[in-house]
Amino acid sequence: MISLKGLSKRYGDRMAVDELTLEVRPGAVTGFLGPNGAGKSTTMRMILGLDRPTAGTALIGGVPYHRIRYPLQKVGALLDARALHPGRSGHAHLVAMARSNGIARGRVAEVLETVGLGEAARKRAGALSLGMSQRLGIACALLGDPEVVMFDEPVNGLDPDGVRWVRHLMRSLADEGRTVFVSSHLMSEMQLTADHLVVLGKGRLILDAPLAEVIARSSLTAVVVRTPHAADLAVRLKAGGVAVERVGENELVATGVAIERVGDLAHEAGIRLHELRTREASLEQAYQELTASSVEYGAQKAGV
Amino acid sequence: MRQVIGAEWAKLWSVRSTWWCLAGLTALMVLSALALGGATATDLMREGVRSARFAVSEPVVSATTFAQFALVALAMLVITSEYASGSVRSTLQATPIRGRMLAAKALVVLPVMFVAGVLSGALATAAGYVVLSLDTFGGHAALPLGEVTLDLLRVGVFFALVAVMTLGVGTAMRSAAGTLTVVFMLLMGLPLMLLMAGGPAAVEVSLRMPLFAGLAFMESTDNMTGGPIPYPAGEGLAWLLVWTAAALAAGYAVLRGRDA
Repeated sequence: MISLKGLSKRYGDRMAVDELTLEVRPGAVTGFLGPNGAGKSTTMRMILGLDRPTAGTALIGGVPYHRIRYPLQKVGALLDARALHPGRSGHAHLVAMARSNGIARGRVAEVLETVGLGEAARKRAGALSLGMSQRLGIACALLGDPEVVMFDEPVNGLDPDGVRWVRHLMRSLADEGRTVFVSSHLMSEMQLTADHLVVLGKGRLILDAPLAEVIARSSLTAVVVRTPHAADLAVRLKAGGVAVERVGENELVATGVAIERVGDLAHEAGIRLHELRTREASLEQAYQELTASSVEYGAQKAGV
Repeated sequence: MRQVIGAEWAKLWSVRSTWWCLAGLTALMVLSALALGGATATDLMREGVRSARFAVSEPVVSATTFAQFALVALAMLVITSEYASGSVRSTLQATPIRGRMLAAKALVVLPVMFVAGVLSGALATAAGYVVLSLDTFGGHAALPLGEVTLDLLRVGVFFALVAVMTLGVGTAMRSAAGTLTVVFMLLMGLPLMLLMAGGPAAVEVSLRMPLFAGLAFMESTDNMTGGPIPYPAGEGLAWLLVWTAAALAAGYAVLRGRDA
Protein backbone atom coordinates (compact mmCIF):
# COMPACT_ATOMS: atom_id res chain seq x y z
CA MET A 1 0.00 0.00 0.00
CA ILE A 2 1.32 3.41 -1.00
CA SER A 3 -0.30 6.43 0.63
CA LEU A 4 0.32 9.94 -0.59
CA LYS A 5 -0.97 12.86 1.41
CA GLY A 6 -0.80 16.40 0.08
CA LEU A 7 2.40 15.42 -1.70
CA SER A 8 3.87 18.45 -3.49
CA LYS A 9 7.06 19.32 -5.28
CA ARG A 10 7.94 22.81 -6.40
CA TYR A 11 10.72 23.63 -8.85
CA GLY A 12 11.20 27.38 -8.79
CA ASP A 13 7.72 28.80 -9.37
CA ARG A 14 6.40 25.69 -11.07
CA MET A 15 4.50 23.03 -9.16
CA ALA A 16 5.68 19.71 -10.59
CA VAL A 17 3.40 17.84 -8.20
CA ASP A 18 0.57 19.70 -6.55
CA GLU A 19 -1.11 18.41 -3.40
CA LEU A 20 -1.36 14.83 -4.53
CA THR A 21 -3.44 12.68 -2.21
CA LEU A 22 -4.14 9.07 -3.12
CA GLU A 23 -3.79 5.49 -2.08
CA VAL A 24 -2.39 2.75 -4.25
CA ARG A 25 -3.90 -0.50 -3.04
CA PRO A 26 -2.50 -4.00 -2.92
CA GLY A 27 -3.83 -6.80 -5.10
CA ALA A 28 -4.35 -4.61 -8.14
CA VAL A 29 -2.40 -3.07 -10.98
CA THR A 30 -2.69 0.68 -10.71
CA GLY A 31 -1.86 2.50 -13.92
CA PHE A 32 -0.29 5.91 -13.51
CA LEU A 33 -1.05 8.09 -16.51
CA GLY A 34 -0.52 11.63 -17.58
CA PRO A 35 1.05 13.70 -20.34
CA ASN A 36 4.79 14.25 -20.37
CA GLY A 37 5.85 16.51 -17.54
CA ALA A 38 2.70 15.81 -15.55
CA GLY A 39 4.82 14.83 -12.56
CA LYS A 40 4.65 11.03 -12.68
CA SER A 41 8.35 10.35 -12.35
CA THR A 42 8.78 13.06 -9.74
CA THR A 43 6.02 11.42 -7.72
CA MET A 44 7.73 8.05 -7.95
CA ARG A 45 11.06 9.54 -6.95
CA MET A 46 9.46 11.18 -3.92
CA ILE A 47 7.89 7.88 -2.88
CA LEU A 48 11.37 6.36 -2.95
CA GLY A 49 12.88 9.21 -0.97
CA LEU A 50 15.12 10.26 -3.85
CA ASP A 51 13.52 13.69 -4.16
CA ARG A 52 12.43 15.58 -1.10
CA PRO A 53 8.81 16.75 -1.21
CA THR A 54 8.19 20.48 -0.79
CA ALA A 55 5.17 19.49 1.27
CA GLY A 56 3.16 16.43 2.17
CA THR A 57 4.11 12.85 2.83
CA ALA A 58 4.57 9.61 0.95
CA LEU A 59 4.24 6.47 3.03
CA ILE A 60 4.71 2.83 2.17
CA GLY A 61 2.81 0.50 4.46
CA GLY A 62 2.50 3.44 6.82
CA VAL A 63 6.18 4.41 7.02
CA PRO A 64 8.39 6.71 4.98
CA TYR A 65 10.75 4.90 2.62
CA HIS A 66 13.95 5.75 4.49
CA ARG A 67 12.60 4.18 7.67
CA ILE A 68 12.34 0.75 6.09
CA ARG A 69 15.19 -1.41 7.34
CA TYR A 70 15.72 -3.38 4.13
CA PRO A 71 13.86 -1.28 1.57
CA LEU A 72 14.53 -3.60 -1.37
CA GLN A 73 12.66 -6.35 0.48
CA LYS A 74 9.63 -4.13 0.77
CA VAL A 75 9.64 -2.00 -2.38
CA GLY A 76 11.03 -2.87 -5.78
CA ALA A 77 11.26 -0.10 -8.31
CA LEU A 78 12.35 0.31 -11.89
CA LEU A 79 12.81 3.98 -12.68
CA ASP A 80 15.35 4.19 -15.46
CA ALA A 81 16.67 0.95 -16.91
CA ARG A 82 19.69 2.72 -18.36
CA ALA A 83 20.81 3.99 -14.98
CA LEU A 84 23.51 1.37 -14.46
CA HIS A 85 27.26 1.71 -14.40
CA PRO A 86 28.08 0.86 -18.03
CA GLY A 87 31.20 -1.06 -17.02
CA ARG A 88 29.59 -3.29 -14.41
CA SER A 89 27.78 -6.48 -15.35
CA GLY A 90 24.13 -6.82 -14.48
CA HIS A 91 24.99 -9.83 -12.38
CA ALA A 92 27.53 -7.88 -10.32
CA HIS A 93 25.05 -5.06 -9.89
CA LEU A 94 22.41 -7.45 -8.56
CA VAL A 95 24.90 -9.16 -6.26
CA ALA A 96 25.85 -5.82 -4.72
CA MET A 97 22.22 -4.77 -4.34
CA ALA A 98 21.34 -8.12 -2.73
CA ARG A 99 24.23 -7.82 -0.33
CA SER A 100 23.24 -4.32 0.79
CA ASN A 101 19.76 -5.50 1.77
CA GLY A 102 20.46 -8.86 3.35
CA ILE A 103 19.03 -10.76 0.39
CA ALA A 104 20.35 -14.28 -0.20
CA ARG A 105 22.81 -14.40 -3.09
CA GLY A 106 20.85 -17.26 -4.66
CA ARG A 107 18.04 -14.82 -5.34
CA VAL A 108 20.17 -13.19 -8.05
CA ALA A 109 20.12 -16.28 -10.27
CA GLU A 110 16.41 -16.70 -9.55
CA VAL A 111 15.38 -13.23 -10.69
CA LEU A 112 17.67 -13.40 -13.71
CA GLU A 113 15.88 -16.62 -14.60
CA THR A 114 12.49 -14.97 -14.08
CA VAL A 115 13.27 -12.12 -16.46
CA GLY A 116 14.91 -14.41 -18.99
CA LEU A 117 18.39 -12.94 -18.87
CA GLY A 118 20.89 -15.76 -18.94
CA GLU A 119 24.43 -15.15 -20.06
CA ALA A 120 23.61 -11.56 -21.00
CA ALA A 121 23.72 -10.70 -17.30
CA ARG A 122 27.46 -11.38 -17.34
CA LYS A 123 28.03 -8.74 -20.01
CA ARG A 124 28.88 -5.15 -19.18
CA ALA A 125 25.62 -3.26 -18.69
CA GLY A 126 26.72 -0.75 -21.33
CA ALA A 127 26.68 -3.50 -23.94
CA LEU A 128 23.04 -4.46 -23.35
CA SER A 129 20.20 -3.47 -25.65
CA LEU A 130 17.44 -1.28 -24.23
CA GLY A 131 15.15 -4.28 -24.01
CA MET A 132 17.72 -6.29 -22.06
CA SER A 133 18.41 -3.35 -19.75
CA GLN A 134 14.68 -3.14 -19.15
CA ARG A 135 14.60 -6.82 -18.16
CA LEU A 136 17.60 -6.30 -15.92
CA GLY A 137 15.86 -3.34 -14.28
CA ILE A 138 12.81 -5.50 -13.65
CA ALA A 139 15.05 -8.22 -12.18
CA CYS A 140 16.45 -5.58 -9.85
CA ALA A 141 12.95 -4.54 -8.79
CA LEU A 142 11.98 -8.14 -8.05
CA LEU A 143 15.22 -8.96 -6.23
CA GLY A 144 13.89 -8.52 -2.69
CA ASP A 145 10.55 -10.25 -3.37
CA PRO A 146 8.85 -6.94 -2.49
CA GLU A 147 5.24 -6.29 -1.50
CA VAL A 148 5.19 -3.12 -3.49
CA VAL A 149 6.50 -2.76 -7.03
CA MET A 150 6.77 0.44 -9.03
CA PHE A 151 7.62 0.52 -12.70
CA ASP A 152 8.20 3.69 -14.70
CA GLU A 153 7.50 2.92 -18.37
CA PRO A 154 8.42 -0.77 -18.09
CA VAL A 155 7.66 -1.80 -21.67
CA ASN A 156 9.89 0.88 -23.17
CA GLY A 157 12.14 -0.76 -25.72
CA LEU A 158 10.67 -4.25 -25.34
CA ASP A 159 9.66 -6.36 -28.32
CA PRO A 160 6.08 -7.67 -28.55
CA ASP A 161 7.00 -10.84 -26.67
CA GLY A 162 8.59 -8.74 -23.96
CA VAL A 163 5.54 -6.50 -23.76
CA ARG A 164 3.28 -9.50 -23.30
CA TRP A 165 5.64 -10.90 -20.71
CA VAL A 166 5.59 -7.66 -18.68
CA ARG A 167 1.80 -7.65 -18.89
CA HIS A 168 1.60 -11.16 -17.46
CA LEU A 169 4.20 -10.37 -14.84
CA MET A 170 2.30 -7.34 -13.55
CA ARG A 171 -0.93 -9.30 -13.57
CA SER A 172 0.56 -12.17 -11.57
CA LEU A 173 2.30 -9.82 -9.12
CA ALA A 174 -1.05 -8.18 -8.42
CA ASP A 175 -2.78 -11.55 -8.16
CA GLU A 176 -0.23 -12.54 -5.52
CA GLY A 177 -1.57 -9.62 -3.49
CA ARG A 178 1.20 -7.15 -4.17
CA THR A 179 0.78 -3.46 -4.82
CA VAL A 180 1.67 -2.77 -8.45
CA PHE A 181 2.07 0.87 -9.48
CA VAL A 182 3.04 1.38 -13.09
CA SER A 183 3.33 4.43 -15.30
CA SER A 184 2.99 4.23 -19.03
CA HIS A 185 2.26 6.22 -22.14
CA LEU A 186 0.84 3.20 -23.92
CA MET A 187 -2.91 3.39 -23.40
CA SER A 188 -3.68 0.17 -25.21
CA GLU A 189 -1.21 -1.56 -22.92
CA MET A 190 -2.72 -0.01 -19.81
CA GLN A 191 -6.18 -1.00 -20.92
CA LEU A 192 -5.02 -4.61 -20.97
CA THR A 193 -3.18 -4.52 -17.66
CA ALA A 194 -4.54 -1.97 -15.24
CA ASP A 195 -7.40 -2.48 -12.80
CA HIS A 196 -7.28 1.00 -11.47
CA LEU A 197 -6.20 4.30 -12.97
CA VAL A 198 -4.60 7.38 -11.54
CA VAL A 199 -4.31 10.27 -13.98
CA LEU A 200 -2.13 13.27 -13.36
CA GLY A 201 -2.23 16.55 -15.27
CA LYS A 202 0.01 19.52 -14.55
CA GLY A 203 0.96 17.85 -11.28
CA ARG A 204 -2.64 17.59 -10.11
CA LEU A 205 -4.78 14.54 -9.66
CA ILE A 206 -7.32 14.45 -12.48
CA LEU A 207 -8.73 11.03 -11.84
CA ASP A 208 -8.49 8.14 -9.40
CA ALA A 209 -10.96 5.44 -10.44
CA PRO A 210 -11.31 1.83 -11.55
CA LEU A 211 -10.55 1.28 -15.23
CA ALA A 212 -14.03 -0.12 -15.91
CA GLU A 213 -15.63 3.00 -14.51
CA VAL A 214 -13.43 5.29 -16.57
CA ILE A 215 -14.38 3.47 -19.76
CA ALA A 216 -18.08 3.43 -18.85
CA ARG A 217 -18.06 7.13 -18.01
CA SER A 218 -16.57 8.16 -21.33
CA SER A 219 -18.95 9.97 -23.70
CA LEU A 220 -17.65 7.68 -26.37
CA THR A 221 -19.04 4.62 -24.64
CA ALA A 222 -22.47 4.24 -26.22
CA VAL A 223 -25.28 1.92 -27.22
CA VAL A 224 -25.48 1.29 -30.96
CA VAL A 225 -28.84 0.33 -32.45
CA ARG A 226 -29.59 -0.77 -36.00
CA THR A 227 -33.23 -0.71 -37.02
CA PRO A 228 -35.24 -0.12 -40.17
CA HIS A 229 -37.31 2.43 -38.18
CA ALA A 230 -34.47 4.65 -37.02
CA ALA A 231 -36.45 7.90 -37.08
CA ASP A 232 -39.31 6.47 -35.00
CA LEU A 233 -37.00 4.96 -32.45
CA ALA A 234 -35.05 8.22 -32.17
CA VAL A 235 -38.23 10.05 -31.25
CA ARG A 236 -39.16 7.37 -28.71
CA LEU A 237 -35.74 7.42 -27.10
CA LYS A 238 -35.69 11.20 -26.88
CA ALA A 239 -39.09 11.11 -25.27
CA GLY A 240 -37.64 8.67 -22.77
CA GLY A 241 -34.92 11.20 -21.94
CA VAL A 242 -32.10 9.42 -23.78
CA ALA A 243 -29.43 11.39 -25.67
CA VAL A 244 -29.45 9.92 -29.13
CA GLU A 245 -27.85 10.64 -32.45
CA ARG A 246 -28.68 9.26 -35.85
CA VAL A 247 -25.46 8.25 -37.51
CA GLY A 248 -26.79 6.49 -40.61
CA GLU A 249 -29.86 5.48 -42.55
CA ASN A 250 -30.60 2.64 -40.11
CA GLU A 251 -28.31 3.40 -37.23
CA LEU A 252 -28.61 5.29 -33.93
CA VAL A 253 -26.09 5.91 -31.18
CA ALA A 254 -27.40 6.50 -27.67
CA THR A 255 -25.14 7.74 -24.91
CA GLY A 256 -25.43 7.79 -21.15
CA VAL A 257 -27.92 4.98 -21.06
CA ALA A 258 -27.90 1.29 -20.25
CA ILE A 259 -28.32 -1.11 -23.13
CA GLU A 260 -31.30 -2.74 -21.35
CA ARG A 261 -33.23 0.53 -21.30
CA VAL A 262 -32.75 1.06 -25.02
CA GLY A 263 -34.02 -2.47 -25.65
CA ASP A 264 -37.02 -1.97 -23.34
CA LEU A 265 -38.00 1.34 -24.95
CA ALA A 266 -37.83 -0.24 -28.43
CA HIS A 267 -39.91 -3.16 -27.24
CA GLU A 268 -42.57 -0.91 -25.73
CA ALA A 269 -42.82 0.96 -29.04
CA GLY A 270 -42.97 -2.29 -30.96
CA ILE A 271 -39.98 -1.36 -33.07
CA ARG A 272 -37.99 -4.16 -34.66
CA LEU A 273 -34.25 -4.13 -33.97
CA HIS A 274 -31.58 -5.71 -36.19
CA GLU A 275 -28.74 -5.00 -33.86
CA LEU A 276 -28.29 -3.80 -30.32
CA ARG A 277 -24.83 -3.57 -28.85
CA THR A 278 -22.56 -1.59 -26.55
CA ARG A 279 -19.66 0.24 -28.11
CA GLU A 280 -16.97 0.73 -25.50
CA ALA A 281 -14.65 3.69 -25.65
CA SER A 282 -11.01 2.70 -25.70
CA LEU A 283 -8.92 3.86 -22.79
CA GLU A 284 -7.09 6.05 -25.26
CA GLN A 285 -10.29 7.89 -26.12
CA ALA A 286 -11.42 8.16 -22.52
CA TYR A 287 -7.98 9.37 -21.52
CA GLN A 288 -7.94 11.96 -24.25
CA GLU A 289 -11.24 13.39 -23.10
CA LEU A 290 -9.92 13.54 -19.56
CA THR A 291 -6.65 15.22 -20.32
CA ALA A 292 -7.78 17.41 -23.22
CA SER A 293 -7.88 20.50 -21.01
CA SER A 294 -4.52 19.82 -19.49
CA VAL A 295 -2.81 19.13 -22.81
CA GLU A 296 -4.46 22.14 -24.41
CA TYR A 297 -3.19 24.29 -21.62
CA GLY A 298 0.30 22.99 -22.28
CA ALA A 299 0.06 23.66 -26.01
CA GLN A 300 -1.23 27.17 -25.48
CA LYS A 301 1.47 27.89 -23.03
CA ALA A 302 4.10 26.64 -25.44
CA GLY A 303 2.62 28.80 -28.18
CA VAL A 304 2.93 32.04 -26.24
CA MET B 1 26.07 -1.14 7.92
CA ARG B 2 28.29 -4.20 7.37
CA GLN B 3 26.04 -5.20 4.48
CA VAL B 4 26.19 -1.77 2.89
CA ILE B 5 29.98 -1.83 3.13
CA GLY B 6 29.95 -5.30 1.56
CA ALA B 7 27.87 -3.98 -1.32
CA GLU B 8 30.21 -1.05 -1.90
CA TRP B 9 33.17 -3.42 -1.75
CA ALA B 10 31.57 -5.65 -4.38
CA LYS B 11 30.82 -2.65 -6.58
CA LEU B 12 34.38 -1.34 -6.35
CA TRP B 13 35.93 -4.55 -7.61
CA SER B 14 33.35 -5.25 -10.30
CA VAL B 15 34.47 -2.45 -12.62
CA ARG B 16 37.62 -2.46 -14.66
CA SER B 17 38.44 1.19 -13.93
CA THR B 18 39.43 0.22 -10.37
CA TRP B 19 42.07 -2.17 -11.65
CA TRP B 20 43.33 0.31 -14.22
CA CYS B 21 43.66 3.04 -11.61
CA LEU B 22 45.55 0.71 -9.26
CA ALA B 23 47.84 -0.39 -12.08
CA GLY B 24 48.39 3.26 -13.00
CA LEU B 25 49.07 4.15 -9.38
CA THR B 26 51.68 1.43 -9.07
CA ALA B 27 53.35 2.36 -12.35
CA LEU B 28 53.47 6.04 -11.39
CA MET B 29 54.88 5.22 -7.96
CA VAL B 30 57.62 3.01 -9.35
CA LEU B 31 58.57 5.32 -12.21
CA SER B 32 58.54 8.58 -10.24
CA ALA B 33 60.40 6.96 -7.35
CA LEU B 34 63.06 5.68 -9.73
CA ALA B 35 63.40 9.08 -11.41
CA LEU B 36 63.58 10.98 -8.11
CA GLY B 37 65.89 8.39 -6.53
CA GLY B 38 68.12 8.46 -9.60
CA ALA B 39 68.37 12.25 -9.30
CA THR B 40 69.27 12.04 -5.60
CA ALA B 41 71.90 9.40 -6.30
CA THR B 42 73.44 11.41 -9.12
CA ASP B 43 73.56 14.50 -6.91
CA LEU B 44 75.38 12.54 -4.24
CA MET B 45 77.84 11.18 -6.82
CA ARG B 46 78.55 14.70 -8.05
CA GLU B 47 79.19 15.89 -4.51
CA GLY B 48 81.62 13.02 -4.27
CA VAL B 49 80.94 12.06 -0.67
CA ARG B 50 81.38 8.32 -1.02
CA SER B 51 79.96 7.47 2.40
CA ALA B 52 76.69 9.41 1.89
CA ARG B 53 73.59 7.18 2.04
CA PHE B 54 69.86 7.75 1.54
CA ALA B 55 66.93 5.47 2.30
CA VAL B 56 65.33 4.27 -0.95
CA SER B 57 61.92 4.95 0.57
CA GLU B 58 62.68 8.69 0.53
CA PRO B 59 62.14 9.13 -3.19
CA VAL B 60 59.05 6.93 -2.79
CA VAL B 61 57.60 9.45 -0.34
CA SER B 62 58.30 12.25 -2.80
CA ALA B 63 56.81 10.23 -5.65
CA THR B 64 53.39 10.45 -3.99
CA THR B 65 53.21 14.04 -5.27
CA PHE B 66 52.77 12.65 -8.79
CA ALA B 67 51.24 9.26 -8.17
CA GLN B 68 48.39 10.63 -6.05
CA PHE B 69 46.45 11.60 -9.14
CA ALA B 70 45.83 7.96 -10.01
CA LEU B 71 44.31 7.43 -6.60
CA VAL B 72 42.30 10.62 -6.99
CA ALA B 73 40.83 9.16 -10.18
CA LEU B 74 39.90 5.94 -8.42
CA ALA B 75 38.33 7.59 -5.38
CA MET B 76 36.49 10.08 -7.56
CA LEU B 77 34.97 7.37 -9.75
CA VAL B 78 33.52 5.63 -6.70
CA ILE B 79 30.94 8.40 -6.52
CA THR B 80 31.00 10.39 -9.78
CA SER B 81 30.44 7.31 -11.94
CA GLU B 82 27.20 6.77 -10.03
CA TYR B 83 25.99 10.25 -10.80
CA ALA B 84 27.15 10.02 -14.43
CA SER B 85 25.19 6.81 -15.05
CA GLY B 86 22.29 7.57 -12.71
CA SER B 87 22.96 4.39 -10.76
CA VAL B 88 23.19 6.51 -7.62
CA ARG B 89 19.38 6.25 -7.54
CA SER B 90 19.67 2.51 -7.44
CA THR B 91 22.21 2.80 -4.62
CA LEU B 92 19.99 5.16 -2.65
CA GLN B 93 16.99 2.92 -3.15
CA ALA B 94 18.96 0.15 -1.49
CA THR B 95 20.43 2.47 1.15
CA PRO B 96 18.09 5.43 1.60
CA ILE B 97 19.95 6.81 4.62
CA ARG B 98 22.39 8.95 2.73
CA GLY B 99 25.01 9.37 5.41
CA ARG B 100 25.21 5.61 5.65
CA MET B 101 25.88 5.31 1.93
CA LEU B 102 28.66 7.91 2.08
CA ALA B 103 30.15 6.32 5.20
CA ALA B 104 30.15 2.90 3.52
CA LYS B 105 31.97 4.28 0.50
CA ALA B 106 34.52 6.01 2.73
CA LEU B 107 35.05 2.86 4.76
CA VAL B 108 35.75 0.91 1.59
CA VAL B 109 38.02 3.49 -0.02
CA LEU B 110 40.02 4.08 3.17
CA PRO B 111 41.49 0.60 3.72
CA VAL B 112 41.79 -0.12 0.01
CA MET B 113 43.88 2.99 -0.59
CA PHE B 114 45.89 2.38 2.55
CA VAL B 115 46.87 -1.05 1.32
CA ALA B 116 47.39 0.27 -2.22
CA GLY B 117 49.73 2.93 -0.82
CA VAL B 118 51.73 0.47 1.25
CA LEU B 119 51.98 -2.11 -1.53
CA SER B 120 52.76 0.23 -4.40
CA GLY B 121 55.22 2.01 -2.11
CA ALA B 122 56.86 -1.31 -1.23
CA LEU B 123 57.13 -2.21 -4.89
CA ALA B 124 58.62 1.19 -5.71
CA THR B 125 61.07 0.83 -2.80
CA ALA B 126 62.13 -2.61 -3.94
CA ALA B 127 62.54 -1.48 -7.53
CA GLY B 128 64.47 1.57 -6.33
CA TYR B 129 66.78 -0.53 -4.22
CA VAL B 130 67.53 -2.93 -7.04
CA VAL B 131 68.18 -0.22 -9.62
CA LEU B 132 69.92 2.35 -7.40
CA SER B 133 72.27 -0.28 -5.96
CA LEU B 134 73.85 -0.60 -9.38
CA ASP B 135 77.40 0.73 -9.62
CA THR B 136 76.21 3.39 -12.07
CA PHE B 137 74.48 5.14 -9.17
CA GLY B 138 77.46 5.03 -6.88
CA GLY B 139 75.97 2.74 -4.26
CA HIS B 140 74.39 5.50 -2.18
CA ALA B 141 71.05 3.70 -1.80
CA ALA B 142 70.30 2.16 1.58
CA LEU B 143 67.46 0.03 2.89
CA PRO B 144 67.07 0.76 6.62
CA LEU B 145 64.10 -1.48 7.37
CA GLY B 146 62.66 0.47 10.31
CA GLU B 147 62.64 3.77 8.45
CA VAL B 148 61.34 2.17 5.25
CA THR B 149 58.47 0.49 7.10
CA LEU B 150 57.46 3.73 8.77
CA ASP B 151 57.64 5.58 5.44
CA LEU B 152 55.47 3.00 3.69
CA LEU B 153 52.84 3.04 6.43
CA ARG B 154 52.72 6.81 6.21
CA VAL B 155 52.34 6.67 2.42
CA GLY B 156 49.39 4.36 3.01
CA VAL B 157 47.78 6.76 5.47
CA PHE B 158 48.38 9.71 3.14
CA PHE B 159 46.79 7.90 0.20
CA ALA B 160 43.84 6.74 2.28
CA LEU B 161 43.12 10.25 3.52
CA VAL B 162 43.53 11.92 0.11
CA ALA B 163 41.16 9.29 -1.30
CA VAL B 164 38.50 9.99 1.32
CA MET B 165 38.96 13.72 0.77
CA THR B 166 38.41 13.16 -2.95
CA LEU B 167 35.31 11.11 -2.19
CA GLY B 168 33.97 14.02 -0.15
CA VAL B 169 34.65 16.52 -2.92
CA GLY B 170 33.16 14.13 -5.48
CA THR B 171 29.98 13.77 -3.44
CA ALA B 172 29.67 17.53 -3.24
CA MET B 173 30.47 18.16 -6.92
CA ARG B 174 28.82 15.06 -8.45
CA SER B 175 30.55 15.48 -11.82
CA ALA B 176 33.96 14.03 -12.64
CA ALA B 177 35.16 17.24 -14.28
CA GLY B 178 34.16 19.39 -11.32
CA THR B 179 35.69 16.98 -8.83
CA LEU B 180 38.96 16.73 -10.70
CA THR B 181 39.22 20.52 -10.94
CA VAL B 182 38.56 21.08 -7.24
CA VAL B 183 40.83 18.27 -6.08
CA PHE B 184 43.62 19.35 -8.40
CA MET B 185 43.34 22.92 -7.17
CA LEU B 186 43.42 21.74 -3.55
CA LEU B 187 46.34 19.39 -4.03
CA MET B 188 48.48 21.28 -6.54
CA GLY B 189 47.04 24.43 -8.07
CA LEU B 190 46.38 26.55 -5.00
CA PRO B 191 49.41 25.53 -2.93
CA LEU B 192 51.75 26.19 -5.86
CA MET B 193 50.11 29.51 -6.64
CA LEU B 194 50.40 30.54 -3.00
CA LEU B 195 53.98 29.34 -2.89
CA MET B 196 54.83 31.41 -5.95
CA ALA B 197 52.95 34.42 -4.59
CA GLY B 198 55.72 34.26 -2.04
CA GLY B 199 54.30 36.40 0.81
CA PRO B 200 55.01 34.82 4.21
CA ALA B 201 51.30 34.39 4.95
CA ALA B 202 50.69 32.81 1.53
CA VAL B 203 53.52 30.35 2.11
CA GLU B 204 52.21 29.48 5.57
CA VAL B 205 48.77 28.73 4.13
CA SER B 206 50.21 26.79 1.20
CA LEU B 207 52.19 24.58 3.56
CA ARG B 208 49.02 23.63 5.40
CA MET B 209 47.13 22.51 2.36
CA PRO B 210 46.65 18.76 1.90
CA LEU B 211 49.66 17.91 -0.24
CA PHE B 212 52.29 19.71 1.84
CA ALA B 213 50.55 18.66 5.05
CA GLY B 214 50.86 15.09 3.79
CA LEU B 215 54.52 15.58 2.87
CA ALA B 216 55.14 17.02 6.34
CA PHE B 217 53.46 13.98 7.84
CA MET B 218 55.63 11.66 5.72
CA GLU B 219 58.69 13.77 6.63
CA SER B 220 59.57 14.34 3.01
CA THR B 221 62.95 15.98 2.53
CA ASP B 222 62.75 16.53 -1.19
CA ASN B 223 59.69 18.30 -2.55
CA MET B 224 58.42 21.36 -4.38
CA THR B 225 59.07 23.60 -1.38
CA GLY B 226 62.75 22.80 -1.82
CA GLY B 227 63.25 21.11 1.52
CA PRO B 228 61.60 19.59 4.55
CA ILE B 229 58.26 21.10 5.55
CA PRO B 230 59.02 23.28 8.57
CA TYR B 231 56.63 21.74 11.08
CA PRO B 232 56.30 18.37 12.82
CA ALA B 233 54.82 15.23 11.25
CA GLY B 234 51.99 15.14 13.77
CA GLU B 235 50.84 18.58 12.72
CA GLY B 236 50.91 17.47 9.09
CA LEU B 237 48.62 14.56 9.92
CA ALA B 238 46.31 16.89 11.83
CA TRP B 239 45.98 19.25 8.85
CA LEU B 240 45.40 16.35 6.52
CA LEU B 241 42.61 15.09 8.78
CA VAL B 242 41.08 18.55 8.90
CA TRP B 243 40.97 18.75 5.09
CA THR B 244 39.55 15.26 4.79
CA ALA B 245 36.87 15.93 7.39
CA ALA B 246 35.96 19.23 5.75
CA ALA B 247 35.59 17.59 2.32
CA LEU B 248 33.47 14.78 3.75
CA ALA B 249 31.29 17.27 5.60
CA ALA B 250 30.79 19.28 2.40
CA GLY B 251 29.91 16.10 0.53
CA TYR B 252 27.46 15.03 3.20
CA ALA B 253 25.79 18.44 3.29
CA VAL B 254 25.13 18.35 -0.46
CA LEU B 255 24.12 14.68 -0.42
CA ARG B 256 21.59 15.30 2.34
CA GLY B 257 20.15 18.47 0.95
CA ARG B 258 19.90 17.87 -2.78
CA ASP B 259 17.56 15.62 -4.69
CA ALA B 260 19.35 12.58 -6.05
